[in-house]
Amino acid sequence: MKYKDYYASLGLERAASEEQIKKAYRRLARKYHPDVSKETGAEEKFKEIAEAYQTLKDPEKRAAYDQLGSHAAGQEFEPPPNWQQQYSEAPFSAEEELDLSQLFAHLRGGGARSGGSRMSMPGQDYEVAVAISIDEAFNGTQIDLDLSMPEYDGQGRLHRVPRTFKARIPKGATDGQRLRLPGKGGKGLNGGRDGDLYLNISLRPHPLYRANGHDLYLDLPLAPWEAVLGTSVEVPTPGGVVRLKVPAGTQAGRQLRLPQRGLPRPKEGHGDLYAMVQIVVPGAVGDAERELYRKLAESSGFDPRGHFAVEAGHAH
Amino acid sequence: MPIESMEVLWFEQHELSLSELAGLSGLPLAVLEELLDCGAITPIESPGFEARFGAAALRAARAARRLRSDFELDIQALGLALSLLDRVAELEAQLRELRAKLPQRYPPRS
Repeated sequence: MKYKDYYASLGLERAASEEQIKKAYRRLARKYHPDVSKETGAEEKFKEIAEAYQTLKDPEKRAAYDQLGSHAAGQEFEPPPNWQQQYSEAPFSAEEELDLSQLFAHLRGGGARSGGSRMSMPGQDYEVAVAISIDEAFNGTQIDLDLSMPEYDGQGRLHRVPRTFKARIPKGATDGQRLRLPGKGGKGLNGGRDGDLYLNISLRPHPLYRANGHDLYLDLPLAPWEAVLGTSVEVPTPGGVVRLKVPAGTQAGRQLRLPQRGLPRPKEGHGDLYAMVQIVVPGAVGDAERELYRKLAESSGFDPRGHFAVEAGHAH
Repeated sequence: MPIESMEVLWFEQHELSLSELAGLSGLPLAVLEELLDCGAITPIESPGFEARFGAAALRAARAARRLRSDFELDIQALGLALSLLDRVAELEAQLRELRAKLPQRYPPRS
């Protein structure tokens, strides 16, 4: 079994008082709790902190932990002889997959004493982040999940079991959506219900489309003359290319809506796709082209900043 | 290694009774009822007599269960934390919408 240094997880000396343990936990929980923290790896860090606190806050569990001696974190070790008989109610195997936290979950101490190990316990729920592409969201996809879950064997012993799932992500998934896989979390104990597995979906960035719910946004660059004269352009969508009519006099920033061309919704229908007009100019122009622009500048009466003078006058 | 294929449910399509909500979130029924009383968790409009709960309530109840056990929060603090988390989620949704509408650089970096 691998040793975990619970004191180090909380940034404490081994001689820390109960009050110091509580304070350290509260400070770190505020920083790393997955519901309040945006730091990367916060969830893993919080699990480590919570596991350490679960054991150290309970004087009996803490005494049992101290009896294991002090080892380097991650170092292989065995509990001393008789340790199990002295502290633990549940039999455990000293195999490698056994996790220190599972050992302590079974110790006598704080509250859990009454029911003993026959108490029915619901399985743990798991949340897993899954990133899919916009094309996968459009067509539906199948993903492989590799998870390591604590499970009880026939003798009631805990093991960490690698499990591989294939999960079908149906059409209709989008950023921030969740899927629930009932009964696919940790196994329940003594008749407790099996936990659930929750998939938190996020969409990977796409070079063309940006998603908001089931709507997609796409930049549509137009040349100045296309915007002035109007045109018809081919626009890529996840379902294939469509032809879009751009009316004459289209301003930059205008949203041209392509109904039902966004991501499919879970039950029926699709979101919309918005082509966001940008007016772009060539980086370099040849002499002939520059001459045409010069003529345009001389003959045009258009004043794009006419409102400056008016609004500035109002301000006085 | 066993490979299982599994059934998935849309979180958003859930409609739950009060006891199902308690079971799925792991919150004791009494705590859940107090959170209902203070408006931190709300049922969806339903024609029947029995209150029904949607995905938003399940999300809130699961967060409440985590916050309660990890921070030892009382009902008042729990209600406050839930309403602030709600606000954060709302602002994040707005941010996502604005980001989606924000034009990229042109020409795009290869």
